[in-house]
Amino acid sequence: MSDTPGWRQVYDAAEHRVAPPLESFVHSDGLAAAARLGVRVHSELRSQAGGLAARVWHFANLPAGTDISRLRAQIGALDREVRRLNRRLEQQSAAAAVAPERGC
Amino acid sequence: MLTVVTLPAPASVVDQVRREIERNALRARNGIRLATGTVGPGVGLTPKDVVWRSGRAQLWHYRSEGPRVSPPLLIVFSLVSRSYALDLSPGNSFVERLLDAGFDVYLLDWGVPDERDAANEFTDYVDDYIPAAIRRVQQVSGAETINLLGYCFGGVLTLLHAAHHPDSPLRSLTVMATPVDFTAIGPHARVAGGERELDAVLDDNGNIPASIILQGFRSLRPTAEVTRYVDLWEKLWNDDYVAAYQAMAGWATDHVPFPGALARQSLRMLLHDNAMMTDRLVVGGDRVHLADITVPFLTVLAARDHIVPEPASAPLIDLVGSQDKHELRLDAGHIGLVVGKTAAKTTVPTVLEFLQRFSEVHA
Repeated sequence: MSDTPGWRQVYDAAEHRVAPPLESFVHSDGLAAAARLGVRVHSELRSQAGGLAARVWHFANLPAGTDISRLRAQIGALDREVRRLNRRLEQQSAAAAVAPERGC
Repeated sequence: MLTVVTLPAPASVVDQVRREIERNALRARNGIRLATGTVGPGVGLTPKDVVWRSGRAQLWHYRSEGPRVSPPLLIVFSLVSRSYALDLSPGNSFVERLLDAGFDVYLLDWGVPDERDAANEFTDYVDDYIPAAIRRVQQVSGAETINLLGYCFGGVLTLLHAAHHPDSPLRSLTVMATPVDFTAIGPHARVAGGERELDAVLDDNGNIPASIILQGFRSLRPTAEVTRYVDLWEKLWNDDYVAAYQAMAGWATDHVPFPGALARQSLRMLLHDNAMMTDRLVVGGDRVHLADITVPFLTVLAARDHIVPEPASAPLIDLVGSQDKHELRLDAGHIGLVVGKTAAKTTVPTVLEFLQRFSEVHA
């Protein structure tokens, strides 16, 4: 006799029937296209709303969210450059420390 | 006509009822604990020291009572999830098994990317972070070479590193659940679309939010979430199961943002150009060829992997140039390679055996 409870057997049977068509639907090209369209529409609406909000804030001579985002991106890029330079320096220091030991 | 109906013995029925009552009491107790969060799973508990850091990245050195195997092993984890999957819980920890086998284990953890990582590209990881971590492992351990192991997207990074730096001091390279054929990666590729769609989902930091990554994984198996709860209800009486569930379910929903610039580069190079298969990889402005990897090589792939399907990782063995190369196919899921029974019985012993071939075992 199986240890699996009856309610579980019912669920498993239902899941086996439902899962394949549901997966096919979720993974279909049609839904992927709809998702991409949804993302574009959402992005466009966000951009329009952001532009409108930015005009209001700029009218009051204040920075808008988009200005802050741009500033954060610039700081982020600068931080990356500094990190890369640091690692290059570390690399060169390590190479310089090894070179005399090898008698080069 | 006579129909014979077999009735369960009264004692058996009483036992079953008693068992169900006991289990329901335990279910109620564990359910309250789960709902109130009074018992949190202990994850990533193996003692370790941070021996190097840069930006959000940290290099961890796991403590051990004098490693018996050299050279050290450096693990590079994926960029979309938390590295504690490799050290999930005591008794169910890949790292713990490696330490028990005498390995000197280091793990490169990427941390949680923020706006300072949004501009990161492959070159940051492949040409900067990984070489710096390797140098630090050499300094700490005194070893001249190391064994390198990459998991999932960490495998992609280690492949690119080994290919771009043939002079890297690697004794061997092991990759697990690592995709190379992105035409076989599944629904991700279809939904990804172009750079316009990608830019539209970036968060204020310029990264792909963890929530989008989680939704992407959930959509791979739409009924899995419900089944997970059904499994939990069925075994809620079992303390061990609940502890393992908490650790695993916690990890499976604990993603980290993916750097925006790296996502753009991955979309162009890996998804659209399928550059690993078509030999069109470019890192830091240089052409990179997987055939330039010549160190002893092991690829581990999972037959039931729904995140990196087997056909996406299977071609790898033929792409690397190593003479000494091996492939291990296991009947496991993506994370089942390092967590759970299959990992304990098959993956870990095989990986250990491979690594031991390229290591010196001291008394």
